[in-house]
Amino acid sequence: MKFLIVDDFSTMRRILRNLLKELEFTNADEAEDGVVALSKLRNGKFDFVVSDWNMPNMTGLELLRNIRADAMLKHLPVLMVTAEAKKENIIEAAKAGASGYVVKPFTAAVLEEKLNKIFEKMEKQ
Amino acid sequence: MSNSTLASGDSEDLEALFDSIVMANSAQSPAQETPTNRPEPSTAPPPATEAGEGSLFSQIGHLTRKLHDTLRELGYDKKLEQTVEAMPDTRERLAYIAAMTQQAAERALTATEIAQPIQEKLEAGAMTLSAKWQHLFDNKLSPAEFKQLAEETRDYLKEVPAQTRATNAQLMEIMMAQDFQDLTGQVIKKVTEMAQQMERDMLQLLLATTPADKKTEIDTGLLNGPVINAAGRTDVVTSQDQVDDLLESLGF
Repeated sequence: MKFLIVDDFSTMRRILRNLLKELEFTNADEAEDGVVALSKLRNGKFDFVVSDWNMPNMTGLELLRNIRADAMLKHLPVLMVTAEAKKENIIEAAKAGASGYVVKPFTAAVLEEKLNKIFEKMEKQ
Repeated sequence: MSNSTLASGDSEDLEALFDSIVMANSAQSPAQETPTNRPEPSTAPPPATEAGEGSLFSQIGHLTRKLHDTLRELGYDKKLEQTVEAMPDTRERLAYIAAMTQQAAERALTATEIAQPIQEKLEAGAMTLSAKWQHLFDNKLSPAEFKQLAEETRDYLKEVPAQTRATNAQLMEIMMAQDFQDLTGQVIKKVTEMAQQMERDMLQLLLATTPADKKTEIDTGLLNGPVINAAGRTDVVTSQDQVDDLLESLGF
């Protein structure tokens, strides 16, 4: 399973990459904003997107909307991992088709739980 | 935007205060030309014991009045108000950064303190066993002792994975402790933007209120510290070569 980690802070990308590795998802690529992420998604085979919200050039929400509007990408699970913790944010993300929402700072256990939830949903479909 | 009509109760009070001080002092000043010999100047407001001090006080009053009016005319009173309002927010943000970084440092230190004894125990166990195995290869062990060594070694190896897992958990903890950088980074960006805005406002204010003859004066201090950004500056050197060239041109 190939992950794309989207975050403008390299430390957070490294943390997410290491957490995924710990959960035995060793295949991951990184993007520093929505624009780079979208072009990587369109040019490579990815199975899962983990994205921050607040990023320059293209935010995580815009990225999510672009993914859902793209026939080739719309099936991709997108987990939002973000410091935006207002209810409006969570509702907006859910409306735009986010598969899950994790608020920073988060623990490894929370990330694992959300990932598993999404996997379960994927299997049911 | 008519700032004068928007004047809040506060500014009205302030104005009244300004007016009363200015009036009182301009009325007093001629009378106080003559020195009064009071031994104890304990009564508070301006102990105008010397000629001129009263008028100085009055001048300051007038200047303050003028500055106040100018600020209002230019709309800077609102800007200053906004700046003052932005301060508690900035203070809170900085406090958040301080708390987050401290928490991260403590998490990392705690994890290290937990992991170190585990590593030390593993190392000590391996060294003890290794020494015993050396005895075996030196033909110094009896069959019974060898049997015991084999058991000890088995027990040790059985324990290793649990201990490396425990260490790994602490390494993960140290890694997770770094998540503050992303959060404080976002906050620092906001505070930086605030500081830049404030700098711009203050500069405008300074330019608007500085008398024309003072405007050409530049900072000639010698303790400016390192040059943060040399781009576009002709008054600083950016390399040792330039230092040497300058000294040479001066005949040193």
